[in-house]
Amino acid sequence: MRILRYIVLGLILLIMIFPLLWMFRVSFLPSNLGMNFDNLFSTKWTFDTYFDILTAGNMLRYFANSIAVGIIVTGGNILFCFLAGYAFARYRFIGRNFWFYSVIFVLMIPAHIIIIPLYLLIFKLGMYDSYWALILPFLVNPIGIFLVRQYINTLPVSMEEAARIDGAGEFRIVFKIVMPLCKPALAVLAIQVFLTNWNSFLFPFILTSSESVRTLPVGLALYQGHQAIDWPHLMAGSALAVVPVLAAFLFFQRHIVSGITTGAVKQ
Amino acid sequence: MINRRFSGYLFASPWIITFGFFWVYPLFYSLYLAFTDYRLMHHTYKWVGLQNFERLLADQSFLLALKNTFIFVFGTIPITTVISLILALLIEKNFKGRAIFRSGYFIPSITSMVVIALIFTNLYSRGGYLFLLSEMIGFSPPANGFLLSNKTALYSVMAMDIWMSVGYYMLLFLAGLKSIPKELYEAAEVAGAGFFRKLFSITLPLLKPVALYIIVINTIKSFQVFVEIFVMTKGKYGSTTAVYFIYESGLNRFDFGYASAAAYLLFVIIAAFSIAQFSLFRRRTVS
Repeated sequence: MRILRYIVLGLILLIMIFPLLWMFRVSFLPSNLGMNFDNLFSTKWTFDTYFDILTAGNMLRYFANSIAVGIIVTGGNILFCFLAGYAFARYRFIGRNFWFYSVIFVLMIPAHIIIIPLYLLIFKLGMYDSYWALILPFLVNPIGIFLVRQYINTLPVSMEEAARIDGAGEFRIVFKIVMPLCKPALAVLAIQVFLTNWNSFLFPFILTSSESVRTLPVGLALYQGHQAIDWPHLMAGSALAVVPVLAAFLFFQRHIVSGITTGAVKQ
Repeated sequence: MINRRFSGYLFASPWIITFGFFWVYPLFYSLYLAFTDYRLMHHTYKWVGLQNFERLLADQSFLLALKNTFIFVFGTIPITTVISLILALLIEKNFKGRAIFRSGYFIPSITSMVVIALIFTNLYSRGGYLFLLSEMIGFSPPANGFLLSNKTALYSVMAMDIWMSVGYYMLLFLAGLKSIPKELYEAAEVAGAGFFRKLFSITLPLLKPVALYIIVINTIKSFQVFVEIFVMTKGKYGSTTAVYFIYESGLNRFDFGYASAAAYLLFVIIAAFSIAQFSLFRRRTVS
């Protein structure tokens, strides 16, 4: 019975990870082999594909763009989601409920509805095909605000009150006392934002056109069009997009999983 | 909670600005566009009333896109939900190596959709592994591969989508399973309940909230299927979907009013489904 379970689970595991293994295998094939699919157990291995994409062409540029945009967007989200989440959890101000409902509203709205108007807006603002278009609309997100607010609600207010009585200013309280306490929530937020941004295709695709500001997923999706598909190089580029995700998963698995499940069980 | 009008607004201002600029304004702007004939060439908004919507409902390519979207939603969601539930039940109990299976099943769902779609383009093409596999089991694949045939293009994308997302929903089901009190099972065992009795009387009823949550978010997501269609088929071979249609009419043909009308129609459909699911959910939990 136990062996049967392992056989079944192992077969499923094979189905789930084979495509990624195949991607890695193809990425090490010499590209002059062309469309050849008997290569899973081929003895031909080469690093030329990786050498090529890292030295010539735009793949390295796409990679660097993805990293840079990812870091800026993640930094913005940590700061802005934290501040907004704190305000919604701790302050009373006119319109607070209205603005918090706006967070929930955007959380539920399907994003396809803003494809056309966001494209036109970015165009009119003169930000089309620039890094601004990849960064500015995405610096704060509703899930992050929600996550931080829920987390701060579980923290006792006594420390903040004590600091306030001692005459500490709001900025000091927020950054010196509350922010360190929120580290676990902010770690979950940072990883989630970075991964989402890293894999994001739709908006980077519609808001840019030139290769110099292209992110990696967009570069990969449009790479096909250039020539008859050169699978080894395309898969090597894909590996560039996958390896950071796998590394993040290896190191931050707990954070990734809790980011996904907290929303679900609380609903 | 203290009264801090200034700090409150100061701290919330990045969100308020983002909300106003990148959500409220676009929402109203495209609602307006939906009733105009606005194209890149002539920079005037010509009010056309309901014309865009009338045009859409007579446009065969839009109707096909809408039909495909429904096929996609109703074809994938039941299968995805059932498979992810089965996976969760399979690895719920603690056993050696459980973490490896859980991680392995989950990894596709955090991988870039573009990359997954590229890999499957390879696997589905003539001579690709899925092509060879289907030949091996006696199902003759389309001559040029699965993605270059009217009969199989859309379904192939759907199958990939199911494969990719089961691990994600499995995690949600696992979280739901964890929240079921163990005492219930113990009591049932004392009363002599077997595996199936426990499954149908305890596990499944108590998983209902998680299952409905999964169905709701998957519905909203699946109605907007775009990336995999763009990468794998470019909407050809009868595989176009609603968001692909919006992209094509708006950003390829620059028919912004028409595309906005299509986007709002889809929006209304998604909203109707979400509201229906939520009210179903509420009625079920109240009774």
